[in-house]
Amino acid sequence: MSGEGSGEGSTAGGAAVAWNHRHLIDLDVVTWPEIELILRTTDEMKGVLARPIRKVPALNGRRVTTLFYEASTRTRVSFETAARNLSADVVSVATATSSVTKGESLVDTIRTLEALGAEILVMRHSVSGAPYLAAGIFGGHVLNGGDGWHAHPTQALLDLYTMREHLPGGDLRGRKVAIVGDVLHSRVARSNIWSLTAAGADLWLCGPATLLRGFDRWAAAWSGGAIVGHGRFNVTSDVSAALREADVVMALRIQRERMQGGLLPSLREYAARFGLTAERLTLAKPEAIVMHPGPMNEGVEIAPDVAVSGRAVITEQVANGVAVRMALLYLLAGSHEAAHAGEAIR
Amino acid sequence: MSPKRAPGSAESTEGAGRPARKPAAGPLVGQTVGRFEVEKAWLVDPVLGREGPGEVVVTDGILESVVWLKGAEAAGVDDKGVVVAPGFFDLHAHFREPGFEDAETIASGSAAAAHGGYTSVALMPNTSPVLDEPGVMERIRSAARAGGSPVQILAFGAVSAGRTGEQLSAMGELADAGVLGFSDDGAPVRTPKLLRSALLYAGMFGLPVVDHAEDLELSAGAEAHEGYVASVLGLAGWPIAGEVNAVSRDLAVLEDVLPDEPRARLHLTHVSTAAALALVRRAKAAGLPVTCDVTPHHLALADEWIAGARRWSWEALGADGTSRDPWADGVLVATPYDTALRVNPPLRSPIDAAACLAALLDGTADAVATDHAPHTVVDKEVEFGRASNGISGIETALGVLLAMVDVGRLPLARAIAALTAGPAGIVARWPGVAATPAARPRGLIEGAPADLVVFDRADRWRVTPEALRSKGKNSPLLGRELSGRVLLTMASGRLAYEDPEATSTEG
Repeated sequence: MSGEGSGEGSTAGGAAVAWNHRHLIDLDVVTWPEIELILRTTDEMKGVLARPIRKVPALNGRRVTTLFYEASTRTRVSFETAARNLSADVVSVATATSSVTKGESLVDTIRTLEALGAEILVMRHSVSGAPYLAAGIFGGHVLNGGDGWHAHPTQALLDLYTMREHLPGGDLRGRKVAIVGDVLHSRVARSNIWSLTAAGADLWLCGPATLLRGFDRWAAAWSGGAIVGHGRFNVTSDVSAALREADVVMALRIQRERMQGGLLPSLREYAARFGLTAERLTLAKPEAIVMHPGPMNEGVEIAPDVAVSGRAVITEQVANGVAVRMALLYLLAGSHEAAHAGEAIR
Repeated sequence: MSPKRAPGSAESTEGAGRPARKPAAGPLVGQTVGRFEVEKAWLVDPVLGREGPGEVVVTDGILESVVWLKGAEAAGVDDKGVVVAPGFFDLHAHFREPGFEDAETIASGSAAAAHGGYTSVALMPNTSPVLDEPGVMERIRSAARAGGSPVQILAFGAVSAGRTGEQLSAMGELADAGVLGFSDDGAPVRTPKLLRSALLYAGMFGLPVVDHAEDLELSAGAEAHEGYVASVLGLAGWPIAGEVNAVSRDLAVLEDVLPDEPRARLHLTHVSTAAALALVRRAKAAGLPVTCDVTPHHLALADEWIAGARRWSWEALGADGTSRDPWADGVLVATPYDTALRVNPPLRSPIDAAACLAALLDGTADAVATDHAPHTVVDKEVEFGRASNGISGIETALGVLLAMVDVGRLPLARAIAALTAGPAGIVARWPGVAATPAARPRGLIEGAPADLVVFDRADRWRVTPEALRSKGKNSPLLGRELSGRVLLTMASGRLAYEDPEATSTEG
């Protein structure tokens, strides 16, 4: 389970690494060589997507079910597109029209889907940790499409892939990555902490103190290089410090309910102090890229002109998302379940 | 009998100190114990403040003799083997009847209690209907009688009618019906104003108000202790300030009513944070009539268990007294988000767990109470944040405390006192008020009905769903081995529990 040193062997080495995770729920248990395997597989999938006919028979006859307990367009469509590109049979369960509205429990729903033939379950849920419950009873593979505030591993991987495409040599070591926004409630931020500290990036998390609560302690715990395979990261409410000389700037979505919760005075004040504007981005390196996991609140966490500027790679993120998800579906489908019987799900 | 006993071996049942085995079938649960002897065991009497080698004889349900052995007679007897102690008293349990009999009943809860070494249990009033008038108390008594267990079932009445936090319950009638005090447990006494009234009114009867200290605004939506583990796992935090704020409110109100009602008493249950325990310590030093208990799970487990760690809380403490990092230590061995760990107040940091132990050692905490909270699979086999709060813990409390005794962090006598005389003292009524049965001293008293537990510290048992008598299998300790198998529990001279492998009593 221990990885190699942060970001080591970013292109060489690790060629012999085999994928041996039955599920992918969080990146905390995925080593850097395994991440590189995912990224190499993603390269191959991008090759597929570049063909006139974007379809390969890799998962022909395999059954992928998407179970989304939260509204989502881009993530669900991205997973389903990825599965179809691999020739899998796709079943899409939208909870608004399912028995979930009749009070069926998650456990019963998953048992039902398994009985109906689901092999790979792609799951989105509003409660942190829900995919572990699913994995505990599901005979196939669980691929986390985002759970509560906890994890969104495919997003973090597509972010990482996109960053590497834009950085010289595809190497994040020492590159400054600033993630600005509602870190507290963000599964994207949490999964990016695992992947970017493994990649050796100089990671900065930034937002108002109310939306960073607890992350100072987390950063302090990791400051001494305590976690094998993961470097330290920084937490600040000073947006200038976060953006200065950054290579990558990522904005996180600010949700309106944060105002009702007393965590923010107003969206206007947030935009004024933390919004990614063209002016504020002059602090970053001239070639810095701008990212956003979507959906965007233009004019709040990101200015409209920035979102469509040449440095924004937001649509690339979406396109890479399909390739990353193809890679993960492919790797999970090929992993051997027998080897994992009786193990704790991690 | 052989003077030597092979420690820790399953074949040790014939050794010294084990209850004398008789070929004849013993009495059934509920029957008076005709004859029962323990030779050469370690006796603990928290009332006398005495422990040492000794022997006990029970005849026709009466503790006929307690002999303390000296010199050569005591040779080979130590506190690492069979222990005889007064029956335990749990100040805080939920047996779910009436209303939630799918989770537990008085009968199944009593069987679980006896398996855990308990002979008296105080139930919390959050049943359906709520124990807010004497009719419900009668219903509980009647279920206890029908169940046939000799475990004494006691109860706290609700502070407020329906536990809604608005009006006082039928406190006078409940006092007449024999409740031990009043609590809206599951929730705090809603307002300081209601608490003031409750302390004054209960004070008339010399009964305590038991508060579950929680600032509901600060804990709203919480899933786990606010801290490093919750941050990493993306769980909404239950901050320390939520308990500190509630405890300071309670202490301020108590201090305020004392000039008017000097018999007002406050008991704080399941205190879980170092900061709140510091407040209680200070209030006790200032002479306020406040008591508190801590739970086995807040003593021995920490929030890192939710991430998948499975080490005891003291093993998660660094040499400098700070919490160790379970990710850095590579100790995450179990599937995370186990809902058996969802409990309120939440499992805290290893530092808070250490503070609970320190409070137990210095007397700030008067008792260990289990907060035994059985739940059905339906209420626990759900997403972590949607799972019901509570741990089924009445059968594992002794083993958890012995884990601390085994590593030298808790003296055996203190552990036993916290399970017996400690809780009994909390509900002992003021002089001049008729004593409740639970207020009996809980020592090894010759001539009194035998009320005792016999356990073997050298005999380990595995916590499994089948081993637990409780209907609630929601124990985070499932699969783990605990020391101190209970061999026999006797309540008021009647058999409450006997280890299936031992046949030591005569009917």
